[in-house]
Amino acid sequence: MRPILLQGHERSLTQIKYNREGDLLFSVSKDHVVNAWFSHNGERLGTYEGHVGAVWTVDVNSSSTLLVSGSADNTAKLWDVSNGKCLKSWEFNTAVRCVQFSEDDKLVLIVTEPRMGYPATLQIFSVENGTTETVSSEPVYNFHPEGPKITVAAWGALNRYIVAGRENGSVALIDPKSGQCISTNKVHELTLTDLQMSADRTYFITASKDKSAKILETESLEVLKTYTTDTPLNSAAIMPKHQEFVVVGGGQEAMDVTTTSSRQGKFECRFWHKILEEEVGRVRGHFGPINTIAIHPDGRSFASGGEDGYVRVHHFDDDFFTFKFQI
Amino acid sequence: MPTNWADEVDGVEAPQTFTDANGITTHIEFRINEDGKKVKITRRTRKKLIHDKVNKAVAARKKWPKFGKERGNKPGPDPATTNVGDNIKLKLSSTGQIVQDVDEKHEAMKAQLQNKKILCRICKGDHFTTKCPYKDSLGMEDAAATPAPAEEPGKFLAAEEQQSGSKYIAPHMRAGASSGGVGGRPGSAGPDSREKRDEQPTLRVTNLSEDVTEADVSELFKRFGHISRVFLARDRETGACKGFAFVSFTMREDALRALEAIDGRGYDNLILRVEWAKSSA
Repeated sequence: MRPILLQGHERSLTQIKYNREGDLLFSVSKDHVVNAWFSHNGERLGTYEGHVGAVWTVDVNSSSTLLVSGSADNTAKLWDVSNGKCLKSWEFNTAVRCVQFSEDDKLVLIVTEPRMGYPATLQIFSVENGTTETVSSEPVYNFHPEGPKITVAAWGALNRYIVAGRENGSVALIDPKSGQCISTNKVHELTLTDLQMSADRTYFITASKDKSAKILETESLEVLKTYTTDTPLNSAAIMPKHQEFVVVGGGQEAMDVTTTSSRQGKFECRFWHKILEEEVGRVRGHFGPINTIAIHPDGRSFASGGEDGYVRVHHFDDDFFTFKFQI
Repeated sequence: MPTNWADEVDGVEAPQTFTDANGITTHIEFRINEDGKKVKITRRTRKKLIHDKVNKAVAARKKWPKFGKERGNKPGPDPATTNVGDNIKLKLSSTGQIVQDVDEKHEAMKAQLQNKKILCRICKGDHFTTKCPYKDSLGMEDAAATPAPAEEPGKFLAAEEQQSGSKYIAPHMRAGASSGGVGGRPGSAGPDSREKRDEQPTLRVTNLSEDVTEADVSELFKRFGHISRVFLARDRETGACKGFAFVSFTMREDALRALEAIDGRGYDNLILRVEWAKSSA
């Protein structure tokens, strides 16, 4: 397969995300810009400009009308996907770490960092109509979650839970109405770097700096599968169709890269068999650690964003779909 | 007859295009190539209309005008931001071994070499033979042909280990140091220096060429161990080498090693002969 290289960013990528149909790919990086791309040919649809700090996170709603992005400039912005206009800008006391639309597109979850004396907050905003006039500046819920810093968060099925990954490697189930922590499970040794839900949100995959990725059941937070690699992981994604795979990526810390040979960098996307927990293949190409991986919702392509500032979109060859794992 | 180049171009037959019953369009054109020869280029193309069903929303999004930094740009990927990379093969394997093969091989080799002492075949130093600083003066194939070091490598290793050990051992305490050499630096000038010198393991090197100097001799022998003295016999008038020299070592093992390695070796077109020096007494 020949990857499409997207050079829309000048600094390292922080997150990439496909919309529901997978025709659009959104990428955010530390260079303040949000880019929208057509995933089939890598054409850039446009940019969303207005952030003045590193953009940590992005999400698009299921009808691809609204985009929300969270930045280190202490704001989260709501954008019109089609024309790049900023519809709403929410101000916070600290940087925004994580944003996500709820399954019904009515709510947005925003997680802010604890910093400079301000506690971490977990806020939920209503974006039901999605126009400048109707979106409230005040959150519907505003919680101050206890415990270690939340690095990643996602909505569970039917908005019944918020799943939060913490800095100490634990995963917590939070009730979105009361902000109470329902249960926690310390599954990793080190900080969680990514948490992606399966299509039906009954299970999710986590990636951690402790070199492993795990699949957990949402309701019970029980570890179902573990994928142990030899490098710190920054991202993990579940392949929704065609093959029972998960894709994990990472690499040694950017600060350590110059002190070791490039062969040891391990900047590859690794494909693991989801059920059998066996590694099946690797895709190399990045010059730096892989920061984020997203898989097209129809499972025919995937994209990875790296510390090197590139997004690489890979469309699988035909033999990928006919591959059968031999036991 | 064409008279100039313009007429020549006109002389080429006009291109033809026709479509056959199967919908294959054939385009034939004639051209004159660099060698001045006429070539016929035939291109067959077939157009096929492929219908692809796409989501309505997706189709609508494809028609969206570009915005932000892309505002006003024409449809299609812009080479400034979008490029196609090199072909990358995703090799899927069921064993989970293939992808780690390289690493494992590397690790295995590392483990294998971990306890291996690197031994130069030329000078018995702890470097690779190809990295030997003396490989020019002592050819590799010569070294291989020398039987003695190959027979008793353990002996030399033992000697070397003792030398490279962390604890300092005074020269006269070292194994192999001549028992008589007590006090005083070997080879130091003194009333009884000649006496001491005789007790040191000394080699007599003969069949040296005329233009050899002390430095050359010590260069040749110092790799085997510490040399306390080099004496090169020189002609009184011309100062040229008379063809023999004495080399005194501090350690007997070193001298023995040197004797075995250098004896019979070519040096400046001559074959050196090394033997134990007979006491002058």
